[in-house]
Amino acid sequence: MSIYAVNKLCREALRDAAFRAALKRDPRAAIAPLPLTGEERSALLNGDVAWLYEQGAHPFLLAYLTRWELFGLTVPLYSERIRTAREPGITE
Amino acid sequence: MAEIVAAFGVPHTPNFPALVAKQGPDCRTAQLYAQVAALLHDASPDVLVVYTDDHFNTFFLDNFPTFAVGIADQISGPNDQTAMPSYRVAGEASLASHVRARVIAAGFDLSLVQDFDLDHSIMVPLHFLTPDMAIPIVPVFINGLAPPLPSAQRCSALGHAVKDAIEDWPADKRVAVIGSGSFSLEIGGPRIPLGERACTPDPQWAKHVQDHLEHGRIAELIEEATASRLARAGNIGGELLNWIAMLGVVGDRKPIFIAPEIEHGHAYAAWRLN
Repeated sequence: MSIYAVNKLCREALRDAAFRAALKRDPRAAIAPLPLTGEERSALLNGDVAWLYEQGAHPFLLAYLTRWELFGLTVPLYSERIRTAREPGITE
Repeated sequence: MAEIVAAFGVPHTPNFPALVAKQGPDCRTAQLYAQVAALLHDASPDVLVVYTDDHFNTFFLDNFPTFAVGIADQISGPNDQTAMPSYRVAGEASLASHVRARVIAAGFDLSLVQDFDLDHSIMVPLHFLTPDMAIPIVPVFINGLAPPLPSAQRCSALGHAVKDAIEDWPADKRVAVIGSGSFSLEIGGPRIPLGERACTPDPQWAKHVQDHLEHGRIAELIEEATASRLARAGNIGGELLNWIAMLGVVGDRKPIFIAPEIEHGHAYAAWRLN
């Protein structure tokens, strides 16, 4: 359930200018202290938003990353990648 | 006893304040909000009960209520870096406390929120409808964004319970109810087009919702607004639940004003209730 940490990272990127600058400067170092799994860490550093979405990262929060092109995620690149994601299961 | 005088539904698109600041009072968005604002002014409410879906700003996923009511004397916003003026608005804590007690007695486990600010989902509608922030509010929060969402039936029942609570609030006040949000909207999800951050994935559903509203077919709307139907309307499609709760005070009345913007997946509407 540590995808929570990914969601929180996205929100902190919106709210905390210093954290945002650190993510921009050296993403690997900036996320080093966060309680992420190895897979989550790799996915973030690779900008693999489709995988993060499939793990439960909320798209409203993930899309914040494009505002400052964090993890290399421009809007065109983000959109290209997220479009490959499987839809989460919907239950009535 | 208090009297419910009107109900309104509007979008809360966060870039609208900046858009209108740039395009001026004659642009379509400004005109639509102005028409609703004029009807709200005509109804001269003393208090606004506002249904809202917080976008992970007032709350976060560590502690995210399905339903909550905000009880405070002063409330600030927006708290999410929306490009718009910052405001302080009075909270009508007396009605909020009364709603909390009555609605819990009616079987709804409303969370209590007392030290909070608000995001664009309330501040954008207030910016356009009551820019002097002179009318106190009672915010009622519904989880419209983090599945599993409450059902449309449950949100409708909440709307009816809030209606009953307002109507036996022992104050000689006029109350209006506002619901805001989109019927079809995807932000950052797999349905966005290449090169975009957001889109309206299901304009047919938005049109269908607008038709139901226009003709007062609220029972049908609630029946059709299943979790999977809302999800197909986009990952922000759950904002319809704010409207469905608001419609608890409307019954099957037809709106006195409704203006769809189908391409944007939302509408502007007003009901007179007295």
